[in-house]
Amino acid sequence: MKFVTYAQNLHDLSRIKNLGITEVILGHIDFSRFGKLSDDDFMNLAKRSKELNLRVIFEWDILMTEDKFHQLQNKIFDLLPQAEALRVQDPGAFEWCLKNTNHPLHFIAENGNHNLLALQGWIEHAQGRLERIVLSLELPKNKIQEYCEQLKIPCELLGLGRILLFYTPRQLLAPLHDDRVSYNDELVAIGESEESPHKGFPLIENRHGTFMFHIKEFCVLEYAQELEDYGLSSLRLDLRWTDFSVIDVIMSYLKKEVNFEDLKNTYPQDLMKGFYLTNKTDVLFPKLKNHRLQNRQGDYVGEVIEAEKGSHLAIHIKNERGLKKSDRLRVIHPKGDEFFINIYSLRNLALEDVELVPNDSVAIIQFANGVWVKSHVFYV
Amino acid sequence: MKDYFPEILAPAGNLEKLKVAVLYGANAVYVGGQKFGLRTAADNFTLDELREGVLFAHERQAKVYVVLNSFLHDKDLSEIPEFIEFLSEIKVDAVIVSDLGVVKTVASLTSIPIHISTQASTLNVEAAKFWKAAGASRIVLGREVSVKDAGKIKREAQIEVEMFIHGSMCMAYSGNCVISNFTQGRDSNRGGCAHSCRFEYSLDFGIDTMEKKKAFFMSSKDLEGLRILPEFISEEIDSLKIEGRMKSHLYAGTMSKVYSEALSFYREHGHFLSEDLLSWESELQKVSHRSYTQASLINPAGADSIFNERENSSDSEWQMVGKVLEASPKTGIVLEVRNAFNQGDSIEILSFRGKAISITAHEITDIMMKPVTRTRPSTLVKLPFVSGVEKWQLVRQQVLA
Repeated sequence: MKFVTYAQNLHDLSRIKNLGITEVILGHIDFSRFGKLSDDDFMNLAKRSKELNLRVIFEWDILMTEDKFHQLQNKIFDLLPQAEALRVQDPGAFEWCLKNTNHPLHFIAENGNHNLLALQGWIEHAQGRLERIVLSLELPKNKIQEYCEQLKIPCELLGLGRILLFYTPRQLLAPLHDDRVSYNDELVAIGESEESPHKGFPLIENRHGTFMFHIKEFCVLEYAQELEDYGLSSLRLDLRWTDFSVIDVIMSYLKKEVNFEDLKNTYPQDLMKGFYLTNKTDVLFPKLKNHRLQNRQGDYVGEVIEAEKGSHLAIHIKNERGLKKSDRLRVIHPKGDEFFINIYSLRNLALEDVELVPNDSVAIIQFANGVWVKSHVFYV
Repeated sequence: MKDYFPEILAPAGNLEKLKVAVLYGANAVYVGGQKFGLRTAADNFTLDELREGVLFAHERQAKVYVVLNSFLHDKDLSEIPEFIEFLSEIKVDAVIVSDLGVVKTVASLTSIPIHISTQASTLNVEAAKFWKAAGASRIVLGREVSVKDAGKIKREAQIEVEMFIHGSMCMAYSGNCVISNFTQGRDSNRGGCAHSCRFEYSLDFGIDTMEKKKAFFMSSKDLEGLRILPEFISEEIDSLKIEGRMKSHLYAGTMSKVYSEALSFYREHGHFLSEDLLSWESELQKVSHRSYTQASLINPAGADSIFNERENSSDSEWQMVGKVLEASPKTGIVLEVRNAFNQGDSIEILSFRGKAISITAHEITDIMMKPVTRTRPSTLVKLPFVSGVEKWQLVRQQVLA
């Protein structure tokens, strides 16, 4: 399994040269969400990387409106000769690179793409040009294993680094900052919400917009061997906001020279596994609504819209059959209580006694104890 | 004058709202079944309701689009084919999808047109070309796209484009926010969004001389694009979408009415230089909303697009007091009351076309004809019949000076 990391300066490069890392991702200031490299910086770092036998990956992970896309697409030709592969997230960048470059592509499928068909779709569309696909952090390990086995190209996963929670092109911090020096400056802040149990979200605003991260960093390094056994090809180490020297400990851990506790104790941020063991982010959904009121199929007659104690019930009929005086009814109270009613008085809104109240009309029947507004009515 | 006019696409969180939106002028509605959409807490449609809704809309020359725009996991995807077969049978006009796996699944099973959801954040010509190649017939563009760029995307990718013209907005690139996933264990991209962007945050810039700032800094104002209608028409945008499947009947009705009437006026006169423009804008103020912004429809959204206020602090002065269940000289006007009003109050019945009908509720009875001096929510009342009032019309009242 390969280890990939970001290099932001020559010091980073010299530190990783003997650590077993084979690829570096370089972030240009115009193309990469958190890239800080100018044209010259990029060229110098790319050149030095090659001297160190490090493969250079050019990162183009910003999302771009048409205007911005138009501005950038020609500039990339000046930079690409120094890179050996390109990684993109915007489907537009993906499509454009397929048509206009010959570089191997990495597709960042970290945003959604939680099913095999989607992942296969990107690969098929690239017609052999996709060198690697970057999987979502939200995938549990059984899915990572399945995708590594089923997909016909190498897969990459974040091994250690910040979890990006939110990305907008709007500048949200500058309006609150007292001393904004220039547009190109990066602003950083820590956010806390009184309505969330979590405190201390790192925030960044730069020329590409505003970004919020989780308070803990993602780490599945303790499962590196398991991931390698699954067939994962690359594990990414994102240390862009951490003292880069910590990479020595990380690589020592991956070489089994120190244990995970040592790594955790050395690493400056708290770590989490995210959804690596299991993803149950849909289990709360059934609790978001009253399921007693969701069943409106089949024998559903309609809904009680008025219940006047001792007088009557008004039912909004929502079934093509309408309501007949001979119908027997089952009523489900929103709290779940069930009642059965034989109709002995059926009237319409003109208060006429009728044998049938048609669909999309209001039927008035006698009151029944316990039945209340929003109760659902079914034929028996 | 342009002979090209966009459709007005309204939200319908349930069957009643579908009927309201269509009757008030929407050319199309978008709805969700009980699975696969992003509004898990909404009523949504049962299969029977979907069937009835499609019939109702088609009888009135309106289209129905069904959302399947969750970022589905493998286990969800396996349930799609049966639902698609049903949608095909009832002849829905399109499905709205954000995930490539769902696009592939739908395209393999049916010829129902596929619209790519705004969740996919399609922002440029090349992205539109990708989705077209994948089988899409229309792109619901990201809210960051300007009307001018949308026109370019349509022309160069040769695909239909749909843009949001009104409603609440994600501050993040749609589909690029997972705050709820990682902080609340609810997948925002499968319908579990906890609206963390609407919370107040305390921001520490780490500067000793600068105090912490409290702000609703991630909350966006609501989109309002009425005055930009000529630009949408000029760029031949195919569909103008109103956000809000979770919103009220009054919202669905008012938005459908205002935007369809404005479009009709333009169709007839070729301009918006009308006193009606102020009246339409006034109507948009009568539904609950955050402050309005044009966001990025003309220029990229700036600092003035942030809604730095607590939710609900910008509520409208008007509220819906009821819905007309029946109206005839024989029965009078039968209202299902949603919010209480008193005998003698002035109320307005929102006509399907043209000005609202103002009446004073001098005479109110319950449905058993007993006099009522103050109505109660979740009850039915009768008012004397007034010509022009029809079933499904909405009734509102000014509640604040």
